[in-house]
Amino acid sequence: MTDATTPAAQTGPAIQLAEVQFRWRARAPLVLDIPALTVAAGERLFLRGPSGSGKSTLLALLGGVTTPQYGTVEVLGQPLHRLGGARRDAFRADHIGYIFQMFNLIPYLSVLDNVLLPCRFSHQRAQRVAARGAARSEALHLLRRLGLDGALAARAVTELSVGQQQRVAAARALLGGPELIIADEPTSALDADHRAAVVEVLLGECAALGSTLVFVSHDRALEPLFHRALCLTELNRAGTV
Amino acid sequence: MAMLSLTLRSLLNRRYTALLTISAIALSTALLLGVERVRVEARAGFAQTISGTDLVVGARSGQVQLLLYAIFRLGNPTNNMRWDSYRAIARHPAVAWSVPLMLGDAHRGFRVLGTTPDYFTHYRYGRGRALEFAAGQPFADVFDAVLGADVARQLGYALGHDIVISHGTGAVSFVQHDTLPFRVVGILAKSGTPVDRTIHVGLAGIEAVHLGWEGGTAPRHAPTAAAVRAMELTPQAISAVLVGLESRLALFGVQREINHYAGEPLTAVIPGVALQELWDLIGVAERALLAISACVVGVGLLGMLTAILSGLNERRREMAILRSVGARPLQVFGLLMSEAWLLALLGAILGVVLLYGALWLGRPLIEAQWGLYLAIGPLAPREWAVLAIILGAGTLIGAVPGYRAYRYSLADGLTVRV
Ligand SMILES: Nc1ncnc2c1ncn2[C@@H]1O[C@H](COP(=O)(O)OP(=O)(O)O)[C@@H](O)[C@H]1O
Ligand SMILES: [Mg+2]
Repeated sequence: MTDATTPAAQTGPAIQLAEVQFRWRARAPLVLDIPALTVAAGERLFLRGPSGSGKSTLLALLGGVTTPQYGTVEVLGQPLHRLGGARRDAFRADHIGYIFQMFNLIPYLSVLDNVLLPCRFSHQRAQRVAARGAARSEALHLLRRLGLDGALAARAVTELSVGQQQRVAAARALLGGPELIIADEPTSALDADHRAAVVEVLLGECAALGSTLVFVSHDRALEPLFHRALCLTELNRAGTV
Repeated sequence: MAMLSLTLRSLLNRRYTALLTISAIALSTALLLGVERVRVEARAGFAQTISGTDLVVGARSGQVQLLLYAIFRLGNPTNNMRWDSYRAIARHPAVAWSVPLMLGDAHRGFRVLGTTPDYFTHYRYGRGRALEFAAGQPFADVFDAVLGADVARQLGYALGHDIVISHGTGAVSFVQHDTLPFRVVGILAKSGTPVDRTIHVGLAGIEAVHLGWEGGTAPRHAPTAAAVRAMELTPQAISAVLVGLESRLALFGVQREINHYAGEPLTAVIPGVALQELWDLIGVAERALLAISACVVGVGLLGMLTAILSGLNERRREMAILRSVGARPLQVFGLLMSEAWLLALLGAILGVVLLYGALWLGRPLIEAQWGLYLAIGPLAPREWAVLAIILGAGTLIGAVPGYRAYRYSLADGLTVRV
């Protein structure tokens, strides 16, 4: 279902990092020191690395949550390192879908409302969804593609199994077809069967939407499903603390 | 808008805590508004109790005490003043009119006031309003009585009803004079003053009730009504006199003269001055009560702060998720702030509902107990201001958890660890 060839980059790379150095606080040790990292548009990248090696931190840089002390972070052609906090927030809302390891959902919203959440905050995503049809039906469509039927949509998210919750999170990240999907160990709380299922639909949707995917996981069995696999310790000069 | 509906659903999700918080704010708001309203009504009712009377004169006593028994029918005169002192005042060239008052008896818990028919023309309340008769006319006969509006309503008396006046002021009196009943000839319209709770008879009527009682024991042979009417019933002493002057310029002069009256020690008070003194006396308690109520509101709002703050740690994840789907720090801040705002708003609204409920339920009781008539009108500007302050303070308090959440979401952002 996924072809393992790297797609031709039509518009330049989705992600381009150069000489990035990052520490969380001024006195804290250097977490990241990455000379270069390029991810092509539409590429599906698998990223692994030991716990505490800075995978989540790297994703935070890609998502514009924070900016490096040195170096450049360009995402979808935007120099995130030069943008202010508000601009990065807007950029994230418009262009990035994010999936966490677990607890992705707002407990007091229904499944459907959780999926529709990005449309509340990003006009651009709301418009892109609207271009394909009503937001509701688009969300239901995505949920169905991820193996969650319509009856589930009105349920409280707290009634869902972890595997179902992660698929809802995936649907939310994919809604409105953001150009970049960031998944931070989204399957580590799942058993093997569910893990494969979630990853497959996620990859399938990314392929269908043409979205770039950065997928962090410890599970090397998933590696072959991606265009490319990277280990952060090989990439990161600050790896040895 | 996106945030407000989120706030609402987030609160619904925590409805029990939210409900408790709202209740605390509502109760404290109702308390504060209630105290404020009673205070304002009491003050207004107070200042309006008597007008048009220049001096109230009685036996030597404190001016507040004199005012209390002569006007408010509270307590008893410690001493009476002599009838000839009253005559001397009445004859004074600067005095335009004078109305003698005799207190000390009661009927079923309502005070009986012995006076002259002039009372109904000269007693004024509010801005110079005269007493009006809802039915009947002033007393003329010795055994005629005129009822205040509340007396007639609460006892269910109509014109022509016979009432018995007991010696003393208790609600239940063991010594009653059944043989000489009074007949209701007039019922006054409601005035919102102690007059409503008073039974008015002529001075001669009071004398008639006391005939033969001079020794302190019941008379052996009660005289007949016809025999009483034939008697000369001028009292020896009275409780107080209401005085109107020809010119208010003479006020202080006449007051001084009466205070130095050679015949017996007398006190003349200017009602406005005495009312003010009385109010200042009550005012301390009133302000203390208001301050305490304000503190209770503060406690209610602090309770809200505690509830929101203690829930915040569990909700870090929620904030991070919102941030990851595009909520800005300011929107997360707004989420917490609008939560506090909503809680305070609902609390304030419920507080107003409680206030009116309590007013509606408590009004008859308060009126019966203290003669204080609480109007159930719309909220006064001051009350709106109180509500606005509560809402403002509540919203501002929301800035504390709002700021914390704002900091969280910046520091942890998407890397929140589970
Ligand atoms: N929000 C944060 N504030 C401060 N330090 C952090 C934060 N997130 C991660 N770190 C630190 O950065 C380092 C890398 O963490 P992380 O990126 O979460 O690793 P990984 O995701 O690979 O397990 C760790 O030492 C961690 O303590
Ligand atoms: Mg991590």
